[in-house]
Amino acid sequence: MIWEILRMAVNSLTVNKMRSFLSMLGIIIGVGAVIAIVSVGSGAQMQVTSQISQLGSNLITISPGIRRGSSGRISMTSTDLFTMELADQLQQNCPSLARIMPNLQTSGLLIAGTNNYQTTVVGVTPVYQQIYDFYPARGQFITEEHEAGATNVLVLGSGLATELFPETDPVGQKVKLFVRNRHLLFVVVGVMEEKGSGAWGNIENQAFIPASVLMKKINNRKYVSGYTAQAASAADAKAAVGEVEYFLTRYLGDPSQFRVTSQEQLLETISQVTGTLSLMLGGIAGISLLVGGIGIMNIMLVSVTERTREIGIRKALGAKRRHILTQFIIESLAMSGFGGLIGIGFGWLGAAGVAKIGGWPLVVTHTSVLLAFSFALLVGLFFGIYPARKASKLDPVIALSYE
Amino acid sequence: MLIQVINLQRTYQMGSVKVEALKDASFQIKEGEFVAIIGPSGSGKSTLMHILGCLDQPTAGRFLMEGQDISAVSENELAEIRNKKIGFVFQQFNLLPKATILQNVSVPLIYGGIRGRRRQLELAEKALQQVGLGDRLHHRPTEISGGQKQRVAIARALINNPALVLADEPTGNLDTKTGKEIMDIFRQLNKEGHTIIMVTHDQEIAEQARRVIQIRDGLIQKDEVIA
Repeated sequence: MIWEILRMAVNSLTVNKMRSFLSMLGIIIGVGAVIAIVSVGSGAQMQVTSQISQLGSNLITISPGIRRGSSGRISMTSTDLFTMELADQLQQNCPSLARIMPNLQTSGLLIAGTNNYQTTVVGVTPVYQQIYDFYPARGQFITEEHEAGATNVLVLGSGLATELFPETDPVGQKVKLFVRNRHLLFVVVGVMEEKGSGAWGNIENQAFIPASVLMKKINNRKYVSGYTAQAASAADAKAAVGEVEYFLTRYLGDPSQFRVTSQEQLLETISQVTGTLSLMLGGIAGISLLVGGIGIMNIMLVSVTERTREIGIRKALGAKRRHILTQFIIESLAMSGFGGLIGIGFGWLGAAGVAKIGGWPLVVTHTSVLLAFSFALLVGLFFGIYPARKASKLDPVIALSYE
Repeated sequence: MLIQVINLQRTYQMGSVKVEALKDASFQIKEGEFVAIIGPSGSGKSTLMHILGCLDQPTAGRFLMEGQDISAVSENELAEIRNKKIGFVFQQFNLLPKATILQNVSVPLIYGGIRGRRRQLELAEKALQQVGLGDRLHHRPTEISGGQKQRVAIARALINNPALVLADEPTGNLDTKTGKEIMDIFRQLNKEGHTIIMVTHDQEIAEQARRVIQIRDGLIQKDEVIA
């Protein structure tokens, strides 16, 4: 009998095709939006995390803490805390750290013959290569000797190399760096490999010089803005954070003066943020499902009124309340279920389109599809109950004489 | 005794006014009778038919069908009695417009607990053949004539082999010739043993039954056997 009622329900929906479609539209849009948003969210998250791990793995960033301002003082970061000596001490006292380097950079104009380019100049030590998994393609990187002797040598990013030396081999050439109203002469010793596309395009246009040169000849300061360290493994990274925090607290006496962040924590934060964001957007899309349910209820109420006579006939022929109730609930369920199926298709297409534009993999999880579809069915059931009850309670005598 | 009606009353509350549609009606109908209930509009004959058809229940008095007191049963039991024991034929035909006539005739079987769609359709087809519509099974009600529609309705009324066929102005929407054909079918059914109660306002139609109960202002005025 359920089959017979189901068939009747589908029949009555196909009689008014346009109307059924319009009433399903809310559900279609709702389900489609939930699936597309969840998919775009997880796709974007996957891309961001993969780009971050591309930068290097098991990284730990040590930066100055933020001092909160009070009673008229503005908040500020402590800038004269970190020295090169402290980096050596951290290396010695934190066994989980594989290597550590200072964070140092400035901005300057590079001049080679008639070409010039304003860019970021990064002060590095040789371990930079291992930490960021980033090596020279030609020539060499900054060596220990360069660093110890504060030699004026420079390594160009691949993009920068073509900007400054479009036709000649840059290795061995001289470039001038104009920074803080002074000119410094450098010899190019190497050109970095291409890191590949992604959000880190500007890394290709950076120049690298020994950290000692940047500190002694340009900044004239013994302080660096922070450190980047690398642990030997992901398991070590967690231990390393603890070791660094313990050592620095004892060394500086105040834990609020510094911050230690591991890459893992960063990834966690990012996935939390994107997770919350997709949940929120998905929730908003869920509201449109609810609105779609109201649309279905509206059309079901119209349908009950239109078919009052049919209900009367069915009751005269022996239909009980539950028969009429089932018939109308199944109609409402069929509408929301069918709308849900179409919505899954649209959501999939939408997610695939955005993934193509964004350049990340298409991720449509079973969970989001199942969740959106069952929520649509639930909405259909919930909003179908009231009209169906109304239909089932009609008095057969009154329903039969309805014109 | 198929039907016993004892001091039946039915009053409607229309706002603050009480309308006494049936004041006091008593009669009995045996198996195999062909009874016409006749009266002008407003006489209470429709109300009486609704109660006899188990679509409505009396305010006071008793209505017994095959000894069972219908005045006191639940809504679900009423539906079951309508399904199993009563076959309706209406003036407006009351077919489902979007279903084929075969599907229409099978509706009482769906609610009657006869399992298997194929079996249901076989029975419906047989019933339609008996009223001479075996070649129109897949037509919709809008595609056939009034007389044919009424024959579909008769097939539908008989499908569950009811104890009582209840016809409400069955010829009211038909021309004289077609009306006569429908009346012939009813007389034939009666000869075959079916109990028929027909409600009408038309004296000529009523006289084709074997017994006429006249009703006016909610009271039985005359109850006579014609031959």
